[in-house]
Amino acid sequence: MKKHHKQVQRRDDSFAERQITNIWHEIPSPDNPYIAADCSCHGYNLFELMKKRTFVDVFFLLFNTELPTEPQKELLETLMISLINPGPRHPATRAAMNAGVGKTDKTHILPISLGILAGTHLGAAEVELSMRFIKRNVRKDPGEVADLLLSHKNTTTQGDWHPAPGFGSRFSGIDELARKIACSLLALEGSGKYLKWGNEFASFLDQHKMGWLMPGIAAAAFIDLGFNSRSAAGLFQLLSAPGLFAQGLELTNKPITAMPFLNDEDYIIEK
Amino acid sequence: MFWDRCRGTIRSRKGGWKIGEGVFSHGYNLLEDFVGSKSYFQVMALHATGRLVERSTADWMEAVYICMSWPDPRIWCNQIGALGGTINTSIVMATAAGLMAGDSKLYGQKPMLEGVTFIQAALKQHKAGHTASEIIEMECNKHRGKPHIMGYARPIAKGDERVEILKKYALKNNMATGDHLALANKIDQVMLEKHNEGININGYGSAILSDFGFTPQEAYYVSTLLTASGITACYLDTKERPAESFLPLRCDDIDYQGPPPRVVPEPD
Repeated sequence: MKKHHKQVQRRDDSFAERQITNIWHEIPSPDNPYIAADCSCHGYNLFELMKKRTFVDVFFLLFNTELPTEPQKELLETLMISLINPGPRHPATRAAMNAGVGKTDKTHILPISLGILAGTHLGAAEVELSMRFIKRNVRKDPGEVADLLLSHKNTTTQGDWHPAPGFGSRFSGIDELARKIACSLLALEGSGKYLKWGNEFASFLDQHKMGWLMPGIAAAAFIDLGFNSRSAAGLFQLLSAPGLFAQGLELTNKPITAMPFLNDEDYIIEK
Repeated sequence: MFWDRCRGTIRSRKGGWKIGEGVFSHGYNLLEDFVGSKSYFQVMALHATGRLVERSTADWMEAVYICMSWPDPRIWCNQIGALGGTINTSIVMATAAGLMAGDSKLYGQKPMLEGVTFIQAALKQHKAGHTASEIIEMECNKHRGKPHIMGYARPIAKGDERVEILKKYALKNNMATGDHLALANKIDQVMLEKHNEGININGYGSAILSDFGFTPQEAYYVSTLLTASGITACYLDTKERPAESFLPLRCDDIDYQGPPPRVVPEPD
């Protein structure tokens, strides 16, 4: 006789009685337990942090549980500046600009563009994949890893190829800006073995017109800074957010004709 | 205390799942009463308005959704979906992002609020003795004389093929012309004669939803997923092609109009 659950029954799971966090502690007001009178981040009082530390320090603390050292702070701040705007040609930025010129609610510009930035190609998901790739291979010879990956190239595929997440070609060439940013970060005291390994790996791709991509740089720097892989995608979105929002906002007071709209002659419906 | 009574308890006016008993929605048993006998659009309208609408009403709404499901990535919300496909975002994320774009002043779901508000207020004015021409004039005066009336005129093109097909649908299905639609048709005629602008799908849909008895908010609520299907199509078209090959831009395809290069000053 076949067994089946004709009668739906609740499982005997034991759920938490209260929500749990190690990050933020709110001290209730003596008069109203729903009002926080004070709070701390990983044990540090918010008002003390406001008085003594920078935004970058507290950002690092939020995800890493401890305040950064000077070299860590310098690396994170430099990385944050380098990632501040994916640029007006990045698909996520173009989504923000579409929302802006289309007179979408301004509250939606950032979520729309961050949603598009979630992709696995030059997006946040690629950062997480890249972080896992670098961590998995950092003890291996970068040249051997590159040779193995390059042997898998499918020569019939059009467009860009990323032999490993965070590394590859951009518009069939080396991403010059990414390479220069990686060099700037490598010159900092806070850069560590992951950025260095990534740079060596990228150098083996050079003759194939490939190299660092921005998700790879972010991934390597995040590991050097001690961030875990689970935080990678969201961190990349956070750090790219200012530029996405600014570029979208710029078009909110422009007419809908301020962006191109292709003519029917340039729109081909394929069979 | 109000907050203590809310704490630790969810109270729903809509329904919910009583494990082992069933899923309930607005007094109905969602699965037993609806699966196989009601359409998805009837359930969607129920969840948006709290009322179980006739099948014919739900089918008309579905027809409007088809009219708003163009797989053309030049449309702004659809282009967001296409941009998601070209960098391989998930289909749910790209479609949701595109849908959000329709909370716009110009197109998509949010203008339903304004469209329904306008025609319902206009009908009150009409019943108070104002002609369609006077109603238009009063509305134009709010916009410094410009013929900006939600539901009449549209971006990119003049005329609206969606209205024409929905008129055929109404004829085929013996849909009665209510007071709101009758007035919308009069406004359409005056707009065409005076301003060379005609009714669009917002104006037509707003009038019919008003005749169905929907409030502006309810019309907006039932339009939540209005453009989803076209966005999904545009997403898949670009996802199935090489990454970043959707309308690639060269650096000089961007017309930079900002300041010329300058030296960054040292901090004080």
